[in-house]
Amino acid sequence: VAAVLDLGHHAERIAQLDATRRRARGWRYLRYALIALLVGWSVEAIVVGDTDWSRISVAGVASAAWRFIDFDASILLSLWEPALETVLMATLATLLGALMAIPVAWLGANNISPLGRFTYYVGRVLMTLSRSVHEVVWGLVFVAAVGLGALAGVLAMAVRSIGFISKTVAEAIEDVNKGPVEAMRAVGANRFQVLMFGIVPQVLPVIIGNVIFEWDVNIRRSTIMGLVGAGGLGLALHRQMASYNYGGIATVIFVILLLIVFGEVFSAWARRKVI
Amino acid sequence: VNTSTKTLPEWKRFRFPQSLYKYAALLASLGFVWWSLDVLKIDVERLPGLLERIGDVLARRYWPPDLAHVMQPDFLRAIVDTFQMSYVATVIGLLLAIPLSWFASFNMTPSRRFLYPVCRLFVMTCRSVHEMIWTIILVAVVGFGMLPGTLAMTLFCIGFGGKLMTEAIESVRKGPIEAIRATGAGHLQTFVFAVLPQVRVAWAGIAIYTWDVVFRASTVVGFFGAGGMGHYLRESVQKVESRQVTAIILTIVAIVIVAELTSAWARARIARAVA
Repeated sequence: VAAVLDLGHHAERIAQLDATRRRARGWRYLRYALIALLVGWSVEAIVVGDTDWSRISVAGVASAAWRFIDFDASILLSLWEPALETVLMATLATLLGALMAIPVAWLGANNISPLGRFTYYVGRVLMTLSRSVHEVVWGLVFVAAVGLGALAGVLAMAVRSIGFISKTVAEAIEDVNKGPVEAMRAVGANRFQVLMFGIVPQVLPVIIGNVIFEWDVNIRRSTIMGLVGAGGLGLALHRQMASYNYGGIATVIFVILLLIVFGEVFSAWARRKVI
Repeated sequence: VNTSTKTLPEWKRFRFPQSLYKYAALLASLGFVWWSLDVLKIDVERLPGLLERIGDVLARRYWPPDLAHVMQPDFLRAIVDTFQMSYVATVIGLLLAIPLSWFASFNMTPSRRFLYPVCRLFVMTCRSVHEMIWTIILVAVVGFGMLPGTLAMTLFCIGFGGKLMTEAIESVRKGPIEAIRATGAGHLQTFVFAVLPQVRVAWAGIAIYTWDVVFRASTVVGFFGAGGMGHYLRESVQKVESRQVTAIILTIVAIVIVAELTSAWARARIARAVA
């Protein structure tokens, strides 16, 4: 009897909770329905509106894919130089990007930003701007600005790298151990000295680890910079595409894969060494 | 008393052997940079004053942006296309990535000998090949339009989201899994009732982040023959209509930044709702 009475006491609350749950479920279904509706609308636009199915057949797709299987080994040796260029472009871009990321991280770290809120936001905006533009777009911008060639690719990837490196470094600076910093301030170090000897030694492993990671990503990026006019394997790919040599395309992609595996293995090894 | 008159040696962060290594490393990297510049045929003499020239070219040829070009209905339609491509690719890619990331996680995979390496390799391949190379291959196979773009973005999404989702699965707590297993649950039941509830929140964040990255990429896939805004970018680049290029790039940047802010806001909301 006591239990029943107790339940009666709570009945109103239970009903309330039930209603909340029902409402939450209703919202959830509405959300799912909205997602499904958007997907349906988009799929319709892509599959029905934009694709000419009369021109796509299983046989056609199969034969189009089959063209790639014809591996063209004759150009393999000539790809050595573009492959080297690709790696060097990525390396230079990463170094340059890391250099340019230092001031941005300094601005964008909450605790050391030189003029407080204002410069903090400047740093954050620079990070977002660098990251939110795709490397192809950066490539086009720099090809337009400095002309065709490896320099445009290096600059494009460097600018694209600033965002990631400076963001992670700024985050590392923000949760730096305060002890050494305060100790240095107490003995009368100026801001630069605090930065150099109180903060940098603490965040250096993070910086190096992230720079190596970004190098790995930049190798991937640098394989396509040639498609917009900066050198490397992308240019070789572009040439094979322009001459409709599908076997050659397959060969270039094979070399790109080799390069990426090399980059991944090397960067994993280097990161283990550093951290 | 006597010690105060004796001058202490000046403090240095690096003493003799280390300082030598430091300078040797610095010298070696400078040499490397010099050699790379040489291999990449970057003219060092033209580097000073580079910024000035970039600014000059951009101001003379690329400014002001031709805003009328991005206001025409065809281009606005392309923006919607871009959104649709990224949306469908993210939804399908993530749905495919759910089982793939389950099979590719070392701790939860149903078969370590067969499914684990196969799925891991698949996700890795999707990730290592740059999304623009996927686009080129798929355009060559299924023809121009939104379909190859969507397929390429789907593969990219599997690679990008799949890796993050796998990492989320690999960091789940063991307790609930052992508890569910102890009741005699199979692989699927363990996954649904012990793993999914633990990774749900992380996956929601990953999903939004992936969409953000996929959207950024899908603004430029059109440059290589798939649909969306990139198509207009290519046309204007090829016709050397520099002011149109500026307008299109600025539009892309603006839209991507809006997408990124939305995604950051949504992720912060999820994090807050959980905490």
